[in-house]
Amino acid sequence: MDLLLSPQLLFSALVLGSLYALIGVGLNFVYGTIRLLNIAHGDLVMIGAYAAFGLFTALGLSPMFGLPLIAGITAMIGAGLYFGLFKRQLENTTSVEQLEANSLLLFFGVSVILQNTMALLFTTSPRAYQHLDYVISIGGLDMTLSRLLALVVSLTIVFAISMFLKFSIYGLGISAIIQNRDAAKIVGIDVGRVQLGSFILGFGVAGIAGALVSLTEQISPFMGFPFTIAAFVVIILGGLGNISGGIIAGILLGFIEIYSVALTSATYRSILIYGVFVAAIMLRPQGLFGKAQT
Amino acid sequence: MTLRNTVLGAVALTMLAGVASAQDAVKIGYSIANTGLFSQAAPSQVTAYELWAEQVNAEGGLEVAGEKRPVELIWYDDESDPAKAAQIYEKLISDDEVDLLLAPWGTPHHLNVAGVVESHGFPMVGNTAASVAIREVSPGNVWFPTSAIPDKVGPELAAFAKSEGIGSVAILANVLPFAQENLQFLLPALEEQGIEVKMNENYPPDISDMTSLLAQVKASGADAVIALSYPADSFLYMGQAKELGIDQPFQFLLVGPTISAFQGAFGADADGIVTLGHWSPHQADWERAKPFYDAYVAKYGFAPDYLDSALAYMSAEILEAAVAQAGLDHEKLRDVISTSTFDTINGPVRFDGVENVETPTAFLQLQGGEMHLIWPGDIATSEYQNR
Amino acid sequence: MTVLRSDLAFFAGLAILAGFGLSVGSLFGTYWVIVALNFAMWIALTQSWALFSGLTGYISLGNVVFYGLGAYTVAVSFKVLPLWVAVPMGGLVAAVFALMIAVPALRVRGPYFVILTFGISELVKYSILNLETYLGKSSRLLFGAPSAEAVLYTMIALAVASSVLMRLVKSSTFGRGLVAIQGDETSAETVGIPVTRFKVMGFTLSAFIPGMVGGLMALRSTYFEVLQVFNPFISFTIVTMAIIGGSNDARGPILGAAFLVFLSELLWSSAPRLYMILLGAFLIAFVLLAPSGLVGLLRKYGEGHSK
Repeated sequence: MDLLLSPQLLFSALVLGSLYALIGVGLNFVYGTIRLLNIAHGDLVMIGAYAAFGLFTALGLSPMFGLPLIAGITAMIGAGLYFGLFKRQLENTTSVEQLEANSLLLFFGVSVILQNTMALLFTTSPRAYQHLDYVISIGGLDMTLSRLLALVVSLTIVFAISMFLKFSIYGLGISAIIQNRDAAKIVGIDVGRVQLGSFILGFGVAGIAGALVSLTEQISPFMGFPFTIAAFVVIILGGLGNISGGIIAGILLGFIEIYSVALTSATYRSILIYGVFVAAIMLRPQGLFGKAQT
Repeated sequence: MTLRNTVLGAVALTMLAGVASAQDAVKIGYSIANTGLFSQAAPSQVTAYELWAEQVNAEGGLEVAGEKRPVELIWYDDESDPAKAAQIYEKLISDDEVDLLLAPWGTPHHLNVAGVVESHGFPMVGNTAASVAIREVSPGNVWFPTSAIPDKVGPELAAFAKSEGIGSVAILANVLPFAQENLQFLLPALEEQGIEVKMNENYPPDISDMTSLLAQVKASGADAVIALSYPADSFLYMGQAKELGIDQPFQFLLVGPTISAFQGAFGADADGIVTLGHWSPHQADWERAKPFYDAYVAKYGFAPDYLDSALAYMSAEILEAAVAQAGLDHEKLRDVISTSTFDTINGPVRFDGVENVETPTAFLQLQGGEMHLIWPGDIATSEYQNR
Repeated sequence: MTVLRSDLAFFAGLAILAGFGLSVGSLFGTYWVIVALNFAMWIALTQSWALFSGLTGYISLGNVVFYGLGAYTVAVSFKVLPLWVAVPMGGLVAAVFALMIAVPALRVRGPYFVILTFGISELVKYSILNLETYLGKSSRLLFGAPSAEAVLYTMIALAVASSVLMRLVKSSTFGRGLVAIQGDETSAETVGIPVTRFKVMGFTLSAFIPGMVGGLMALRSTYFEVLQVFNPFISFTIVTMAIIGGSNDARGPILGAAFLVFLSELLWSSAPRLYMILLGAFLIAFVLLAPSGLVGLLRKYGEGHSK
């Protein structure tokens, strides 16, 4: 009982939840808004982690200062993929089903290429570095600095993104496209530019998530898949394209994970996570915060 | 015959000539989990193979019954699929007609490949398989130099803990096979030694936070923590144990601390961690141990994995010594490997059936950034120290 | 008449393919038996996937769950039940599981269904992992399984059965009903198609053969590992093959499986370091150049021919 009320558990739930939210937000831009089944999302997290590791070991640059650069690298990959592979797909494909099926294949190819190129360049040996791992104690709560920073950075970014979408022209454009693409075109929204923006934002955020992850986990070329899964669970729970719904769902998922394990046993961790997810979708097929029908 | 065909013919002839001169090379084949579930583990093994091949070639080649011939490694990616590994060994033997075989990574792959080499009567010295299941392999074609077999690890760990005055333990165990097999043999051994198990919890391989588990460990007040972990969760444990101030003097992690990335991530914080392993470069009685370590670090820039790299290198050493004596004839090789004692980086190795009966089951401790053998006493390179 | 002729051509092609597969061992040796086995396995899995997902448009990204359940059934009952009982039972277990989840799962549409099926397969994977831990079974050994040839013969039978089934279902009332569901469920309902019943039937039917395939493949590994037989990569590969081939026609899965199996066969041994990268690049090039799949190309060619 003591454990359940401890600030330590609350802190862990927030760290995990905010990271889930951050990873989910990135995918929501690409899948939620433009319906490209990006199963390479976790691989961009991996690229971000390697970029952080590389900056730190080669240049001694802390990932905290390198964040803009790391986000820039993955955002550029996003822009490259948009122009190289997806621009024409988006313009020419008529049905959403066809678009999803083809994008699944394309991203599957991208995922395989990214993973194996990294394996070729850096081998599959796990890598890690020691950085910002001091423990800070505040009133009985012990926090590793890197985890505290991961929490702060994740929350700041997801908050900034949701504000940006709510109040900027670009954000309004995105909501218009989710609601009705053709109508958005008619009222003069440059659909192509908004889609490019989604790629840049989505991939850039994935890179940042990777940099944060690299502070606390070992990294390897095939580390991305669990993040892809987590991202899909989060945005499906939150409702596709619903950015703030996804953020809440991510944090919620972190809490479910930490507190259900504390209440029962760590043995059931994965069963509980997927059980909750499956049950939630079956009971609310449009996601917890999704609109009734799309 | 057109001009183009003539040119092609000439090219083919030149290539044939090239093949003819390389025919002297001894072809050695293996499959490796370059991609997929186990791909993180593969490099520790491949690096050892490649170092060995380079060293052999630098000394003029592999001695095949008195004659030195260069070695050539042929490998394919088994995508972490044991069935694919079996297919690859089939190809290596029938298609590539390799002269010798080295082992793939992991217990499932070893067991699957065992069937193939058996049907061809092709000897293969194994390495990175550690399970009681290896004793089910019929002896004669495959040998396992490891001593980290769970039914030996459990009793040894319990005896070691007892000798350090541990009265109670908190156990965390991954649900994957190697951890669970160890748990299965550890529990009765602890009971036999009169060590109390204050906590025993399993966790799934994809666990992403250990806060509540570690809070339980802390609340248990046990003398020691035994985490039957895999590499990824060993990392998680270390980071979060520090945050929560887990201060048991005796902390054991099953797999992970022997990888150089582990020390890179935790530095001095990892000091005092005990782990599974039976090789250390600091054991001066094993004359080949330190040179191997130095050569490895010189080539790759980081330390070898004390478990997998050492085992992989040992298996190549055994093969090398056997070939020097028996040549490439499978029948003779089988005889020599089954009956001789081999001098390796891990000291003498001798097989009885499929198992290495010389190397003792042992434990390592990180001390001042160095991995020291601390159990059993006769091969220890340092005393156990409380963390 | 034309329908009959194309049917004849299909079945004749299938028979030739199967006959060739059966004789591969004596013609080329053990190595090619394993290649043929892989090919037959992917046909059976992809064909079964297409039977439901291809016809109805409910894209499942979790078909490995059927494969895994079949494999688990055979592993658990190994040396207890004879294999001719255990393997079909694997299929049955998978089908019963599909039947159980069908009603709640098939209420979910579109992208939500895609990820739901994935979630279900992961849920089952971790549940079985826990069950094994609870039972104290850290590993299961399957020594003394039948030879690769014997497994191949059975697998070819499953590949043929799944192809014939797909062909028959597609031209039946049931199959037309499934296709109608893809268009619009409400209007399908109003013209008298029992939508829910058809969906449940289709889903259950598409689980049976993969269950048996999983059971057979478990015999190919001496060491049974839960993570291996529930590897989500299998689900991804099935969908990839179906999309490459074309999934609303029984020829599609065969073409898709052939394309990927032989492409990777061509690449893995000649370029072990680059093989996965090349495979990824081929996949991308394929989608860009032939977005309607191999069957689409075939149709286009056919049209051009008849003109």
